[in-house]
Formats: sequence, structure tokens, C-alpha cells
Amino acid sequence: MTGAPEALLAARGLGKHFGGLVALEDLHLEVRENEILGLIGPNGSGKTTFFNVITGIYAADAGTVLFGGREITNLSAQGVYRAGIARTFQRSRLSLSLSIFDNIMVGNHKRLNQGLWFNLVQRGAFRRELEENYAMARELVTVFDAPLADRMFEAVGGFAMIDRRRIEICRALVSRPKVLLLDEPSAGMTHDETKQLMDDIMQVKESFEDLTIVIIEHEMGVIERITNRCVVLNFGRKICEGTYQEVAADPMVQEAYLGLE
Amino acid sequence: MAEGAGKQRNALLPGIVGIAVVTVYLILFLSVESQLGVALLLAGGAAVVLLAAKFGGIAGMRQSFAAQERGMNGVALLSVVVIAGFFYEDHFTLLMITVVLIFMVASLGLTVQFGFAGVLNFAGAAFMGIGCYTAAVLTKNTALPHVFVILAGGLMAALIGALLLYPVLRTRGHYSAVITIAFALLFKTFLEVNDALGGPQGLRVDGMNVFGWELNDNIALGDDFEISFYFSYVIAGLVLLALAFAFVRRLERSWIGLNMDAVRLDETATACFGYNISRWKITAFTIGNFLVGMVGALYAMMLGFIAPTNFTFGDSLILVSIVLLGGIGNPWGIAVATTIVVILPEKLQIIQEYRFLLYAVMVILVLLYRPLGLLPRPLRSYFPGWVPK
Amino acid sequence: MDVGLVGQYVMNGLMLGMMYALVAVGFTLFFGVLDVINFSHGDSLMVGAFTGLATYLGLDAMGVVWPVVQVPVVLAAAVAMMALLGALIARYLVLPLKSAPPLNTLLITLMLGTVLREGIRLFYPEGSNPKPFPSLLPTHSAEFGNFTLRVDNAMMLLAGLVVIVGVHLMINRTKLGLAIRAVAQDEETAKTMGINFTRVVLVTFALGSGLAAFAGILNGLYYNEINFGIGLLLGVIGFSSAIIGGLGNIYGAIIGGFLFATLQTIGAVALPFASAYKDVFAFGVVILIMAVRPTGLLSEKVSERV
Repeated sequence: MTGAPEALLAARGLGKHFGGLVALEDLHLEVRENEILGLIGPNGSGKTTFFNVITGIYAADAGTVLFGGREITNLSAQGVYRAGIARTFQRSRLSLSLSIFDNIMVGNHKRLNQGLWFNLVQRGAFRRELEENYAMARELVTVFDAPLADRMFEAVGGFAMIDRRRIEICRALVSRPKVLLLDEPSAGMTHDETKQLMDDIMQVKESFEDLTIVIIEHEMGVIERITNRCVVLNFGRKICEGTYQEVAADPMVQEAYLGLE
Repeated sequence: MAEGAGKQRNALLPGIVGIAVVTVYLILFLSVESQLGVALLLAGGAAVVLLAAKFGGIAGMRQSFAAQERGMNGVALLSVVVIAGFFYEDHFTLLMITVVLIFMVASLGLTVQFGFAGVLNFAGAAFMGIGCYTAAVLTKNTALPHVFVILAGGLMAALIGALLLYPVLRTRGHYSAVITIAFALLFKTFLEVNDALGGPQGLRVDGMNVFGWELNDNIALGDDFEISFYFSYVIAGLVLLALAFAFVRRLERSWIGLNMDAVRLDETATACFGYNISRWKITAFTIGNFLVGMVGALYAMMLGFIAPTNFTFGDSLILVSIVLLGGIGNPWGIAVATTIVVILPEKLQIIQEYRFLLYAVMVILVLLYRPLGLLPRPLRSYFPGWVPK
Repeated sequence: MDVGLVGQYVMNGLMLGMMYALVAVGFTLFFGVLDVINFSHGDSLMVGAFTGLATYLGLDAMGVVWPVVQVPVVLAAAVAMMALLGALIARYLVLPLKSAPPLNTLLITLMLGTVLREGIRLFYPEGSNPKPFPSLLPTHSAEFGNFTLRVDNAMMLLAGLVVIVGVHLMINRTKLGLAIRAVAQDEETAKTMGINFTRVVLVTFALGSGLAAFAGILNGLYYNEINFGIGLLLGVIGFSSAIIGGLGNIYGAIIGGFLFATLQTIGAVALPFASAYKDVFAFGVVILIMAVRPTGLLSEKVSERV
């Protein structure tokens, strides 16, 4: 048997504190290529902070982050995106007054021509780029929900939460990232909506060849269904790792969620 | 085939009728002298607008403009020429019309800064002043062709604005607010203590001269038909306005416009998608100031004389009020708001003295009850009429 | 160097610093509690000064001519009126805009500042002219060699110090201060802990505006003159001071205020030929500080949740 698969994204000894509050402590975490990794733990265990440190919103106080063998610990948020990591946010951060298409194009920033001359003078070429990207965005949205694709030029603010989540995921996917970080995508949704969304995510995983997903979730049904592996955090430390079944049976995990017997 | 053309004509009808009505109304409004007449016209105008809104007239106009944008814009430009033509001898009214056009361009500049990229600029009048003083200095001391003087006014304003804002770009919105307010307050004082720039008395500015056409001379057609020279400035102002309008429109309808909106709406999220936030903010700020400075140069050449008292903080706030009242990010909203803000105090004498107070109160009401302004900005359509499959 | 002259500069710098600090503390309180930039704050100072003046004129007309009575009454009237104004601003202009983009609140308060300014200019008798402000404090002075210390200046400095210490004690030692700090740190949690959010906001605005009124009276007593425009520049200076000290941090605001006054004094000394340039110099340095340390010299409040 060969050694463990090469980690695509790895955190080693990651630490982050806010004043006296320790959010992450000596965290060792590996994400393997092409897997769907679940990141779970009680509230305040550092899951979103972990995402924020990876994506460069917070600076790590200790430890390193490696992506494809390259160190990205001190990279800015922009640098992390350009390296190929994209994310959604716990509190949905779409621009409600912009159209679906506009929001998705925000995610496509690195692949669009941002030159002044191109945009203002070369309108023919701009139009071609516009049409190409529209077709591509439409195709992406159709994976999630075909009716949505017909409403690409309506303001996002008028859509239900599940559609907004879908759009937000599209925004993260449009730049073809290698790693997609999903922060509680099912928050605020009903059981049925959650199931639909998870169906969509599975479909995306199938259509995209080279995609690794890390998903933070509280809904254990979701974790059980779609993840290959899980990592459990508590008080900023990893306390358990394995498949959902293994992790659910672990006494430390049960204690973390339910408290001491 | 005929039916299609007929349908198209019908679609344009509300727009053309609307523009015609507005043209006639403005001619009446500008002609009226008595305060009672002004008051009546105001009431009548308000009634017509309310009725039009109720019976879909406004929506109809919007559709007309969407259907045939270039044509409708052309008609609107033409109507301004018609209005100006009506007052061909009236220096004062023509001057007022040009001021409206000039303030429209300046407000468009502020729209790019605040409406698109969310960068507050409370020194609009000061940047216009930079354009003015640049024109004054250049026309007096150099033989630079006046078209380039206008460009130079824009460049100076853009440059100084960039220098001012660059240090604080990586910070939040209120920093640009403080700095531009400080700049606006200190600008007037700076001018007053600088004798090289005329001190408190101000500076004379040469009239504009384009390719031999001396704009400060009345236009004589035949023996006893003379058109006020301000008419030439109306045309010059219209040219600048048309260019600025088209430019700002195109800016909005591109990835650059999208970038500015994105940066305004959510800096953290856009950072996670690779946005260089400073780049878009300073681009917007510089472009906006260029427009403001450019039109300031024209303003100076038209007035023939500029002094520090033209550029107070209150004047900057008037520009901000126009942008907020008209509809943040909507060039047509700007057009309407500028017309009201500039012309109303001139015609309704009693509010002249109270205009700063009045506009401040109006903006407060708008922010509380209709924050999107008179004509809220529509969703971005990259190419009007583009219907993707 | 002439010790007397130095002393004069120092005194002037301290007085200015005191006034800036008082205004800056107001800005920082508003930002700390509600994430709000209140640009009418400088004009609140101005209205406070005019209220004080009107009160004085009223007292004078009623035959009350003893400074011992005048000073407290004028102060009380100005502070009370501005506290009320502050609470009204919070209730009717700021709180309704809580869910709107934050720049809207900045804009609405800026416009309100214009309303206050124009209101005084247009509706106060001869409001567009500068008005003399009475010297209500003892004006004799003590000589220390070349340096002349005026008693009223010393009293004002002392009073300002007392007020600032009082604010510090209130914020840190009282239940109300605790509530303010709780709301400033985490509105949601504070509410679930039973703190009346609206009441805290109104009180904070009242407090900040009361401070502005106090500063306005000091301003009047120091310069013996007020006019409708003093609020603008003082407001911008106060706001800048709060920023460089670290928005949301009261000690930062105080330090920022004195720092700005120091910069102005240095500017005035270094460039004696044009007093306007001292402000340009001071703001220039402020911009540099903002560029180098955008969160302020002490730490700014972190208000965003990602």
C-alpha cells in the first residue's frame, strides 16, 4: 500500500487569537485532492476563522498554510483567490442591488479584461467577451437550477435564500478554483431546500473534474451524505478526523457536542 | 414590415412627447418674470409629473429611451438647443443654461466617484476651482490652445485629487470624507493668501477661443440679428456634456463599472475575489475629478473672472446634494436634479437666500424616505437592447 | 527663546487641544456605540455656544449680572439643550438609518450640520456676523517672570480636565458606562443581556452633544467671539483627531485632539507668515498618519463580522 495521498491544502500548527481569545490553536489539517471534506464542530470552535485565515482575511499568528506545496500563509485575500481558492460566506455576501450575472462576474474577476481601453473603446471585443462569459455563467447556473438561468439580469435581492446560496456558489465556482470553501451553505434553509442544494453540489462535483471542496456544516445529515472525510474542531483544535461514521462514534466528539456525561 | 415600424414609432412616442412637454415647460419657466407666475408653473409642473407617473407616462418615457437610446439622447440635446435658441438675446438666461450644463458635467464626475465606487468627495467645488485657476493661469501666461487648456484643467484636478486621496485609499469611506472636507475648507483660505493666484480679489480669465471662433463675441448674423455670445458657451457646454454623458454611460456598462459597484457594495467579499480595491477607488476618483476640473476650465473662461468666494464648502455640498437628490448613479437623475437645483433659486427669488438650507433639508428627507433619489438607478445593461439567448 | 512666548504657545496649544479632545470624544462615542459618523457634531458645538450666548443675554436682560450665577446657568442651559438635540438627532435621523449603508448616516448628519449652520445664520438675529461672547470668568492674570497666566484660561483648562476625567470615570465605573461599552462591543449580545439599546444610543448621543456644548462655551469664553461657521473646521479637526487616535477609543480621541493642537502650534511656529498654512501642515501630517497607521495610534474598534 502506498503512503497517504498528497495533501492539496495543508495547515500546519496554525494559530490565531483575538486579544485573549484563542480561535485556532496548533491546528494541523489536510485537505486531499478531489475530496469533499467536512469541517464540523460546536459553535465557536474556529471553523469560519479557519476559512478566514486560509483566505487571507485574517493573518495567521502562528503556523503555515501550504497549497499545492507552495506556502500561502501570508498571502493577501487577492493572492489566495488568484492561487485558486474561492469561497462562500456564512452570512450571504452577495450584492443585492446587482443582477445575478453581475454578481457571478464579480467572482470571475481574474479572467476578465480590466483594461480601460478595452472596456471603453474596443466595444466589439468587449461584447464578444461579454457574450462568452454570459454563456458560461448561464451554463453554470443551469447546473443548479434551470429557471434561474433565465433570470440572469434580475436583481439578486428579489430571490429566495436558496437561490441566493446557489448564486453565491456559482460566483465562487465561475473562476474554476481548485478548492471551494463552503461556509454553512444550508444555514437558514428548510430540510427540502438543503437536500436540493446538496444535490446541486454533488452534481457540480461530478461536472467539474478537478474540484476539491471543504464544507462547514451543522447539519449532520449533509455531512454524512456528501463528505468523504470529516475533521472535527473544538476550541480551535482538531479533536478528531475520519469518515463521518468514525467521527460520529468518537466519544470526544460526542462530548464536545453534548457536554460531559 | 410596416407594422413593425409603426410599433417602433409608438414606442418612441412617449419619449418624444415627454421631451417636447419638458422643452415647452422650461421655455415658459425661464421666461416668466413674476413670482406668482413661477409659483403657478411650479404647482402645474408638479401636477403634470404626478399625473404622468400615475398614468404610466414616466414608464413610457423610460421605455422609449431604452428602445432607441441614441436617438432619444439626440432629441434631448436638440431640445436644449431649441430652448437656448428661444432666448438668443437673453444673456442672463443663456448664462444660467450654461451653468446648468456645467454643473451637470461636474455632478456626473461626482457620480462616478460616489455613485459607482462609493468614494465620497466633499470638495467638488474646490476641484472645479482647480480647473478654473488652471485655465486662468494658462490663458494668461501661455499660448496653449484653449481646447488643451480645458484638458489641462481636468488633468490638474485629477492629479491633485489622486495625490490627496492616495495615502488613505486602503482605509474606509469616512477617511475620504474627512480629507475632502478639510481640502474644501482649506482651499478657499489657500487661494486668499496666495497673491500669485490673485488673492481674495481673484483673477481675470481670457474668453475661450476655439479654432479662431472667439466665444466671447456675440454672433452676428446679417446686419441687425445678433445672438448673445453665451449661446456659443451653451454649445460648448453641450459638447462637453454629451461627451461626459456618453463616457460615464459607457464606463458603467463595462467591467470597470461593475468593479466600481462591487467595491462600493462589499469590500471584504471583493477582496476575496481578487479585487485591488485601491485601484478602482482611485480610478473612479481621478476620472471624476478630471470631469469636474475640465468643466471648471470652461466655466472660468465663460465667466471671465474668478475669485475664491466662488468655491466655498457650501458650493461643494450643492454638488453632493444634486447627486443624492437626482438618484445615485443615474445620469438622467443628475440632469433633472441639476436643472431644479440651479434654476429654481434664480427664478423663485425668496428661496435664493435659503437655498443651502432648503437643499440640505431636501436631502435629509430623501435619505430618510426615498434614499435612491428622484430617478433611481436601473440595473446595469451592458448593451441597451442586448437580449441574450 | 522667549519663555513667555513659549508659555503662550503652550497655553494656546493646551486650550485648543482640550477643545479638540472634547469634540473628538463625541465622535468616538458615536462611532463606538453605533458605528456612526455624526458630521453635525461640530455644528452642535456651535449651536451650544449660541445657546449659551442667548442664555447670557437673557439673564442679562433679567438683571442677573453676577458671573457666579451666570456661568453655571449658561453652561447648564447649553449642555442641556445640546443633550436634548443630540438625543433627537439619534432618535429621528440616525436610528432610522440603521440598516441603510453607513455612508447614508454620514451624509444625513452632514446635511443636518448644514441645517444647523444655516439655521443660525438665517434665523438668529444678525446671525451672519460674528458675535461677541462675554468674559464670564475672572480675567486677571498672574505673572511668572515673562509668562502671563490668565486665571480664566487656567480655570477653563482645569474644567476641561475635570470633564474629561469625569467622562472616563463614567464610562469605566458606572453601570451606564458599562452598558455603553457593552453595546459598543456587541449590540446583539448586549440586547440579549437586557440592555435597552435605544436608550443607550440616545444617552450616548446626548452625552456626546453635551460635551460639544461644553466645548462650545469654552470656545466662546476663550476667543470672546463666536460665529455660525466655527463648527465646520472644529468638526473636521475633531473627527481627524478621533481617527488618528483610533476611532472608538476614548483615550485615542483625547490624545488625537492634543496631537492635532500640537501639530497646529508647530505649524504656526515654523510658518509664521501665513496662519492658513498651519492648518494645511497639520492636516498634511494627519493624512500621513492615516496612511501609515489607518486604524489609529491606539486601536480602532473592529466592527465587521466576516
